[in-house]
Amino acid sequence: MSVSEFIDGPFWYFSLTVFVLGVLWRLFGMLTVGSRTDYSVPRSSATAAAIRTNLTRFLPNADFWSRVKLPVIAGYLFHLGLFALLFFAAPHIEFYREYITGFGWPALPEWAFILVSEIAFLGLLLLVLYRMMNPVTRRISSRGDYIGSVLIFVVMLTGCLALARSHETLRVVHFFTAELLLIYFPFSSLMHTFTWPFSRGFTGAHYGRRGVGV
Amino acid sequence: MAVDMNVFRGFAGQIAKLPQMARPTDCPEDERVNHAKAVFRAKMDSSKATQLESCIHCGMCAEACQFFLQTGDPELTPIHKLDLLKRFYRREMAPMRFLYRFTEPEIEEQDLEAAQYLVYESCTECGRCGLVCPMGIDIASMVNVTRQGLAEAGLIPAGLRAVEQEQGDHGTVFGVGPEQLREAVEALRAKGHDVPIDKKKADVLVLSSTIDILLFRDALEATVKVMNHLGVDWTIHSCAFEGANFGLLSGYEQVQKSASERIVSQAIALGASCVIVPECGHAYPALRWEGANGHGAPLPFDVMALSEFLGREVQAGRLQVNPIGKDKHVTYHDPCKVGRHGGVFDEPRAVLEALGVDVQEMPSNRETNFCCGGGAGLFVMEKAAPMRDAAFDLKREQVEATGADSVVTACGSCRVNLMAGGMRTNWQTGIESLVELVGDNLKPKS
Amino acid sequence: MSDNAISGLAMWIAALVLLSGALLQPAGASVNPPASSAPPSPIAVPNPATDLWRAVRQREMQIDSKTQARGVETGVLIASSGEEFRQFRMNDFVGVAGWFIVGAAALILLFYLLRGRIPIDGGRSGKVIKRFEDFDRIVHWLTAVLFIFLAVTGLTLLFGRFVILPVFGAEAFGVIASAAKEGHNLFGPLFLIAVSLLFIRFVVRNMPSPGDLKWLLTGGGIIGKGHVSAGYFNAGEKIWFWLAIVLGLVVSVSGLILDFPILGLEREAMQLALIVHGIAAIFFIAGSFGHIYIGTVGSEGSFDGMASGYVDTNWAKTHHDRWYDEVKDEAISADSSVVKQPISDRMQTTADKA
Repeated sequence: MSVSEFIDGPFWYFSLTVFVLGVLWRLFGMLTVGSRTDYSVPRSSATAAAIRTNLTRFLPNADFWSRVKLPVIAGYLFHLGLFALLFFAAPHIEFYREYITGFGWPALPEWAFILVSEIAFLGLLLLVLYRMMNPVTRRISSRGDYIGSVLIFVVMLTGCLALARSHETLRVVHFFTAELLLIYFPFSSLMHTFTWPFSRGFTGAHYGRRGVGV
Repeated sequence: MAVDMNVFRGFAGQIAKLPQMARPTDCPEDERVNHAKAVFRAKMDSSKATQLESCIHCGMCAEACQFFLQTGDPELTPIHKLDLLKRFYRREMAPMRFLYRFTEPEIEEQDLEAAQYLVYESCTECGRCGLVCPMGIDIASMVNVTRQGLAEAGLIPAGLRAVEQEQGDHGTVFGVGPEQLREAVEALRAKGHDVPIDKKKADVLVLSSTIDILLFRDALEATVKVMNHLGVDWTIHSCAFEGANFGLLSGYEQVQKSASERIVSQAIALGASCVIVPECGHAYPALRWEGANGHGAPLPFDVMALSEFLGREVQAGRLQVNPIGKDKHVTYHDPCKVGRHGGVFDEPRAVLEALGVDVQEMPSNRETNFCCGGGAGLFVMEKAAPMRDAAFDLKREQVEATGADSVVTACGSCRVNLMAGGMRTNWQTGIESLVELVGDNLKPKS
Repeated sequence: MSDNAISGLAMWIAALVLLSGALLQPAGASVNPPASSAPPSPIAVPNPATDLWRAVRQREMQIDSKTQARGVETGVLIASSGEEFRQFRMNDFVGVAGWFIVGAAALILLFYLLRGRIPIDGGRSGKVIKRFEDFDRIVHWLTAVLFIFLAVTGLTLLFGRFVILPVFGAEAFGVIASAAKEGHNLFGPLFLIAVSLLFIRFVVRNMPSPGDLKWLLTGGGIIGKGHVSAGYFNAGEKIWFWLAIVLGLVVSVSGLILDFPILGLEREAMQLALIVHGIAAIFFIAGSFGHIYIGTVGSEGSFDGMASGYVDTNWAKTHHDRWYDEVKDEAISADSSVVKQPISDRMQTTADKA
């Protein structure tokens, strides 16, 4: 079996399996630890607050804005750029159609693909540099934070390097790094991709039943 | 405001002596870690687990914390306070614990000691950090869980431990017991007030606090005046008058439960439909939000913060006050535990509106209000003094930005901390109590 | 004290070299022999193709050609200037640029061997002052990271055929070159953003001020051991800033032209853009050697500023005495947790906070 056959074959299936099972296992585990009944009389609906907090946390309260501008702006540049290129770049849609969903959807024009990639890179670079330069994030960041950031960057970079679709080697390297990312994902803080609605919801509910809308 | 400054200074002196008064804990040193872990395990639930799994180390929580903002010290980053709890969860309860066994070091006694300063003397559990977190992590609640673990491990800081032990052993705080309460009641009766105490049955049980009895007598007097003005069937009770709960503050759950259960059982015995918590911060969530859980069943009565009660009575038209006038410029300081943790924002403002004063809100107000710096027991911990001072300096800027002549609040702890800071910095701005303002301006009932 | 005065000096030498090199080249030298008419055929009938060919080749003739393809210069079948351009780019420019880069590196190495590392007067004091805010450093490192990536990929595109291809072979070089081109083209536009942020962030601190001329005239103390007074930034640093901005803008704008051939520019303009891009980039890279040298090995304590944001007080006194006098009251201990953050995932004993 050649290297590219391995990466397109067994390693792809392995990474996908680890990803899916790992994410489900971790979500299931954290959501089933248990809960205790709260006997106090709520002031207002916890469920409504859980949903509301999920939405309000997309932007920080105006009071905090001036101090958190950079990570929020860089964060959105990165995340929005990433989602756009992950889900609406033609090569990715082709991949999903062939390997996952069986169907595709309209893709961004090439120039837009480049643009959102640049936005995503800019955001990610700013975020990583912020993590390294800001004393708070320097103090609390763990190895995992850096590994995750670097891994995402490498996947994006190898994708960029393979843009010309001229050499099989470059495509295979991109696929390989993406598969590494899939394997790493469930064990890392990248899981925030899936946990955010739950953590926001729990806190929203807690404060919501106290009548505090945050 | 007739606060006896000698008593105030004496208060401060007493606090300095607290550490010596603490009994040594009965937790052997080699058992500390196990005791802490047992508490963490018992307190862990899906909500906390999910939140502990969700932190991405963005550092935004620090930007909301007054202690970090004033010192610039990244050690004070709020989420860092949860590293002990997080490490326990990862190693022993997380779905990926088989992996974390290799990457997270085992908890040792020095980790508990390192956590002590982070969760006690440098945190008021004000909850501002939880507001800004994009993942919605409620850091303050888990700081309290960490306190609970450390408390079982015998690591409550000495000053706070002394007060908690006194409340646990004797049901009193700073030596203020039924006798002192009766003295205060007699003093009020001597002034001509009718003060029902120890009634067998009553509709409303009114609580007080050590701070009010020792220091802010006028707040107690104003409360009495208001209750009588409203014509409510109320009583204060010498078996259950202390609103403060040093079990909650210290994290020692046994005492938290006994202190709140004392009030609950008395209220039930009285057949009360309502318990009113005095101007005190944490006393409100202790009873309103945690009382039922300590009791194990929903409480058969309403719990209201005094400011909440006043506001509702004003809004219902039952509480009549004479307007003071727009020449009085004030700002309102929301006590963290009553506001952000309690949900009481509109009612105190309704009172101020009825009083007809000019209210200017601070740049950060209501949910995003800055802590006075004295909450969560910080005012009885000497090592916390630099933090209290730093927080006060920030609060002072906030108040002065409004141009107000005085800051009104509805919490005795906040008043103490603001006054202490005010004395230290020669602050000219007044510090007033909401209920005292009401009491001084009650419209006489014809 | 020197601080990029070395790179300034190197620049001037290099500019002279390149300029003289360019001047010595006959402009527009054609390499192909002039198209001559076809040799007279035995039958005295001129070859009808020559006229056509001459027209197509567009030598010294203005041709009005039409074509169905729409676009800029689509009527040009063969571009005469193309060959000159190719010769310049592949032969002349590569040669000069290559030696220029090597020369710059060699000059710096020589400087290090002769002068050595510039130490802090009196050694480190153990107290530090805040010099750069978080965002200052983020913007600097953003620019630096992008610069390094673009420099490496750009040099690959310029020299790869001569340096990489012989070593790794055609197949591997194809992969590398393709990757380099895609990477260079995608990250290029970000460099303009980085340079703009750099400009906004640092321009005020880099305005000329009294004392700059004196600093320059004494060469920043690079020769001799005298102390030279300086403010927040010395004249050498300011020169590097302005050079970086100008070169950065030139390289970015020319790069954008190259990256987006859809802007409607003619071939000659695109060729010029490439030449300008290359020259600016080579100067920039050579200059960066000096900057990186001084910021790391060349001057003790200089790296700290861009790393943690804090600099040793003795370093400040040595290199920026006028700035030091303004801020010396803000000095704090170098071991403070505000300055130095330990590795995370460890609980720290904070008993010393009491």
